[in-house]
Amino acid sequence: MLSLHLPVYALLAPLIAALILPLTTDGDSRQLRYIVGGAALCATALAAVSLKGTLGGDVYTYYFGNWIPGVGIEFVINIFSSFMSLVVVFISTLVIFYAFRNITHDLAQHLIPYYFTLIFLMLFAMVGMIYTNDLFNLYVFMEILSLTSCAIVSIKRKGRNLLASLKYLMQGTIGSVSILMGIAFLYMVSGNLNMSALAELMPDIWQSHSINVLISIGFILTGFGIKAAVFPLHTWLPDAHSSAPTPSSALLSGLVVKIYLFAAMKLLFQVIGVDIMREVGLQLFLVLFAVSGMIMGSVFAIGQTDIKRVLAYSSVAQIGYIALGISLASPAGLNAAFFHVVAHALMKGALFLSAGAMIFTTGKRNVNEFSGMGYRMPFSMTVFTIGAFGMIGIPGFAGFISKWYLGLAVLDGGHPWILLIILLSSLLNAMYYLPIIIKAFLCHECETVPSVMERDGLPATMWVPMAIMAVLIVLLGVFPQLLMNITGQMPHLFL
Amino acid sequence: MIYSFWIQILEHVNYIGAACLFVVGLYTVVTHNNFIKKIIGINIMETSVFLLFVSIGFVHGASPPVLTLGDTGGPFVNPLPSALILTGIVVGVSITVYGLSMVIQIHQLYGTIELDEILDTEESKDDSPHA
Repeated sequence: MLSLHLPVYALLAPLIAALILPLTTDGDSRQLRYIVGGAALCATALAAVSLKGTLGGDVYTYYFGNWIPGVGIEFVINIFSSFMSLVVVFISTLVIFYAFRNITHDLAQHLIPYYFTLIFLMLFAMVGMIYTNDLFNLYVFMEILSLTSCAIVSIKRKGRNLLASLKYLMQGTIGSVSILMGIAFLYMVSGNLNMSALAELMPDIWQSHSINVLISIGFILTGFGIKAAVFPLHTWLPDAHSSAPTPSSALLSGLVVKIYLFAAMKLLFQVIGVDIMREVGLQLFLVLFAVSGMIMGSVFAIGQTDIKRVLAYSSVAQIGYIALGISLASPAGLNAAFFHVVAHALMKGALFLSAGAMIFTTGKRNVNEFSGMGYRMPFSMTVFTIGAFGMIGIPGFAGFISKWYLGLAVLDGGHPWILLIILLSSLLNAMYYLPIIIKAFLCHECETVPSVMERDGLPATMWVPMAIMAVLIVLLGVFPQLLMNITGQMPHLFL
Repeated sequence: MIYSFWIQILEHVNYIGAACLFVVGLYTVVTHNNFIKKIIGINIMETSVFLLFVSIGFVHGASPPVLTLGDTGGPFVNPLPSALILTGIVVGVSITVYGLSMVIQIHQLYGTIELDEILDTEESKDDSPHA
């Protein structure tokens, strides 16, 4: 009984928590923290158990209401879905614990239960999008995800948040309407919404109705491009991610955009198929967008002065790396992309959480005011440095490994010129991360160099998640095979 | 020849209508400064997809998919797209409601719902020393 329904429990835990939370009214009570923390840990444990079940290559399939696939909704939980949902739930749990104290800085007391409700609904939608094997179900989860992720930006109710959130809503809806249009074009010629069934029909459809498939690829890629902020369609991201409360920024930048990339991957590789992608010449097209994102995201980040805006633009560049790995459509490329998904979630999480801790304590957001920050908040600045070194790709940190494997995949795929662009993008990353670190620790712009380091004075719920992320970044940088053993099993599910 | 061309057009008028509505909606969202008009544009875009999706399920000369006792069967209209679009409409309504509620709050904060006027006030705020 347990094993039959197990993966769905991981989906239900956040949903049940989201339903219970509005009943509590006191935003700072122990009761609320116990419910939120308990539900998050529970979801993590369930996701870990379902990962254990799929590690040997087993696959759970779950039919909702026991309807046969094609009529009902089917969930397929293979090693990819169970591992990625564990990553999502685990990092969300760290961020949720961090949010207990940090969110009181941004939100009124009575809004805090609603904030956690939104976070859990978002978690539910993310896990659902990873699990589902049905196109319309994917659309519904996607809409839940986009509404909740807009709401955790606008909940701060400042003018800038509302404008950013409305922009996100408008562009996100254009994206999801495009995706639904693409799904309609596929349904028109196949009469099927189940991804596995569609994949079987696809060669015949490609023979008889290639125009429908092409239009559908166009709509779906545009839609997911907007949702995942692939370079020329990224304009909503910096506003939304920088104005949101810190825990929201960490979740949106670290996890949410990647969920849309996963969904795009499912559609491209598992439904349309690599053969059709090669025939259309989609790969080179995607590589060009990914590469321009890697450069332009970093170029935009250099000009920013708001610390969270720097990090948001850096996300645009990092999404380029993941998109590059995906668009190479080779096992090595996908492996590098999966590694970077995890590495970037940890690094961007650590960066946003430490930047948030500095804003929480000192109220400084402008990078020009950061001189001497290494003396004022040594722990947060150390975590920030570890995250930034990872982003630049300094050996010994997780980001180096993903860049290394991405470089190998690029050489394998026969595009050596991209190696230069990866190098250039790393140098650009160094150009905007290193000055912040140098200012903070070397302090050559301070009026008086402090003679002692202060302690950060952060509560345990804030520094422990930051420390865990920092340790994991270094751990993955030194022992990448811990993760590579698992991500290495995933590419064959897509190719 | 010409006659059959027009018959073709008439038979696929739903698809053409959906394409037109999609473009009209996109144009409205992208070009207007007024937030309410943008939300109307979003709604038009959603309606276009709903129209297309429901039209897909239609089978020429088929009966509604309701089985009665002693029914011999025969071609039925596909009920699945209509059922899916009911969900789609609910999603569309929630997006509209959420968007409009934000427009109300923006109006309370800025006193206007025109994007260009709001951006002007934001910029003048940035220039002032006490930003």
